[in-house]
Amino acid sequence: MEDMMKDRTEQLVDYIMKKCLWQFHSRSWDREKQNEGILTKTMQLLCDEPVDIGNPTDKVHWVDAVCLADAFKSRYPWLLTMDKAEIKLLMQGLKDRMDYLTITGSLNAELTDPHY
Amino acid sequence: MPYHEFECSKCIPERKKHAVIKGPGEDLTSALPLGYLNTIPGSISERGCAYCGAKHVIGTPMKDVIHMSHGPVGCTYDTWQTKRYISDNDNFQLKYTYATDMKEKHVIFGAEKLLKQNIIEAFKAFPDKKRMTLYQTCASALIGDDINAIAQEVMEEMPDVDIFVCNSPGFGGPSQSGGHHKINIAWINQKVGNVEPKITSDYVINYVGEYNIQGDQEVMQDYFKRMGIQVLSTFTGNGSYDDLRAMHRAHLNVLECARSAEYICNELRVRYGTPRLDIDGFGFEPMSASLRKIGLFFGIEDRAQAIIDEETARWKPELDWYKERLQGKKVCLWPGGSKLWHWAHVLHEEMGVEVVSVYSKFGHQGDFEKGISRCEEGALAIDDPNELEGLEAMEMLKPDIIFTGKRPGEVAKKIRVPYLNAHAYHNGPWKGYEGWVRFARDIYNAIYSPIHQLAFVDISKDEIPTTTGFVTQKMLSDANLSEDVTSSSLMREYTGKYDVISQLRGKTYPQIPPAAKQLSAV
Repeated sequence: MEDMMKDRTEQLVDYIMKKCLWQFHSRSWDREKQNEGILTKTMQLLCDEPVDIGNPTDKVHWVDAVCLADAFKSRYPWLLTMDKAEIKLLMQGLKDRMDYLTITGSLNAELTDPHY
Repeated sequence: MPYHEFECSKCIPERKKHAVIKGPGEDLTSALPLGYLNTIPGSISERGCAYCGAKHVIGTPMKDVIHMSHGPVGCTYDTWQTKRYISDNDNFQLKYTYATDMKEKHVIFGAEKLLKQNIIEAFKAFPDKKRMTLYQTCASALIGDDINAIAQEVMEEMPDVDIFVCNSPGFGGPSQSGGHHKINIAWINQKVGNVEPKITSDYVINYVGEYNIQGDQEVMQDYFKRMGIQVLSTFTGNGSYDDLRAMHRAHLNVLECARSAEYICNELRVRYGTPRLDIDGFGFEPMSASLRKIGLFFGIEDRAQAIIDEETARWKPELDWYKERLQGKKVCLWPGGSKLWHWAHVLHEEMGVEVVSVYSKFGHQGDFEKGISRCEEGALAIDDPNELEGLEAMEMLKPDIIFTGKRPGEVAKKIRVPYLNAHAYHNGPWKGYEGWVRFARDIYNAIYSPIHQLAFVDISKDEIPTTTGFVTQKMLSDANLSEDVTSSSLMREYTGKYDVISQLRGKTYPQIPPAAKQLSAV
């Protein structure tokens, strides 16, 4: 079960890394906000939960989340077999992995530059 | 860490950390070269300077402006009519280039007087131009000329003109990227917020990090206008100086080249709350996703979808024709900063080529994160390569073609590797759906050029075959293709026009007034 979850997480990571740009903002605090905003909204969309698009930042995160949720559903049919609790677990694993690859484990020395 | 050490650079051991090979199971926490650092002494870098990055890359594509360099004429002469960032005002910014022509005596006695005289002369010579960008160079920066003060003096004496000062001398950063940064920050600090624009749509964007190479901006602007979106400004290709002073009024910043222009998007977000949406304008799938995202943001997804459907139906059969003939060809993707990630994955997926290497002279580690993520395993990533490393990489990887600038491109030709100009293009535009097919056609033409095949014959030692007759590109490209492919009625070669931009300039679009206006009319 754990191996399957890990394998599925890596499939989602691979999709994001190849097709998306939002995870690579130039500073760590932006990457944290991007990962949190977009992946949380993606999870909400996949679980049919309401999504807050009340301000421009929420809205632009939602835009990427809609495209990501659609791509996940169309490319990974196993996602449709999972219940909401499993999807939430999977998406939390995805968020943790993305945070590691792009922030905490990143070798990019510019991430902590205090200025843009 | 899977660093790659070049044989030719063993005498410069610091270079080792500037190249990696993405091996099986490697990810960004184990495979990332150093980047955006000062060039190591002894490595003959091919980088541009910070002045070049500020003026020649970002400043000069602005179309309705006198672009003045305060320095020796050589700093700007080599750019005269050489760039390909065209504009819809008869290419004013390409036709004329201006330098104050500093000489030794000015270095000793100062050149502020000379600068003021040049600024006034330029405005008088082009009386319909009321805007100027003014660039510091190494020479004028080292002697301490106060170009801000001179610009202010002129603006007080000539109240109808406006001057932007960019203090980015050549030594002001490790590479041209230092200049990108400086001009981004200088523009938002000095100019944004100074002009209030006329808003004509409910959907207003700045299109940022787009330089209208051979018409790219005009292709994208056509899509936006078809969606009823007002492009308030383009930073900076085909962009207008005063439009760019009004960037603060857009609802969304659509960012293309994050390498050169993410700084201003980040600052616009912090200062004005305008969100940033990163897009890919190259390739069918990324282009479609980008239009869809913009449509979603404004609640006009149906308009985006109509364009996606129409353009895909028109151009996909032509892209597929080239994909069949480019399958498996090896590419070294050696462009500037952003195209290594804009193109890496989509070239592989939509044209069937294998990207065996990515490099950048001025990209940051963030660019390599994106590029390496999008490459397949085994790709060699190099930061700030020198000429010998480029040659060694080509000997090792044996690419069928490289996409790079004209200087390393000419080096590649000498070892019989064809190249396409990744910065200025061959037969662009390459953005948008039709543009992507034009890129595929240029790749096809380069790889299968019969004259290129002849170049492999070394007339100093090889026997010249006398039995081989006339060949065409198609004879070469179709030799090993199946009948199903060669006689397919579903695929076809490019059928577009030589010039695809002129027709866009006279095009009219349906007017969709802002909602407030509609209500007041009721």
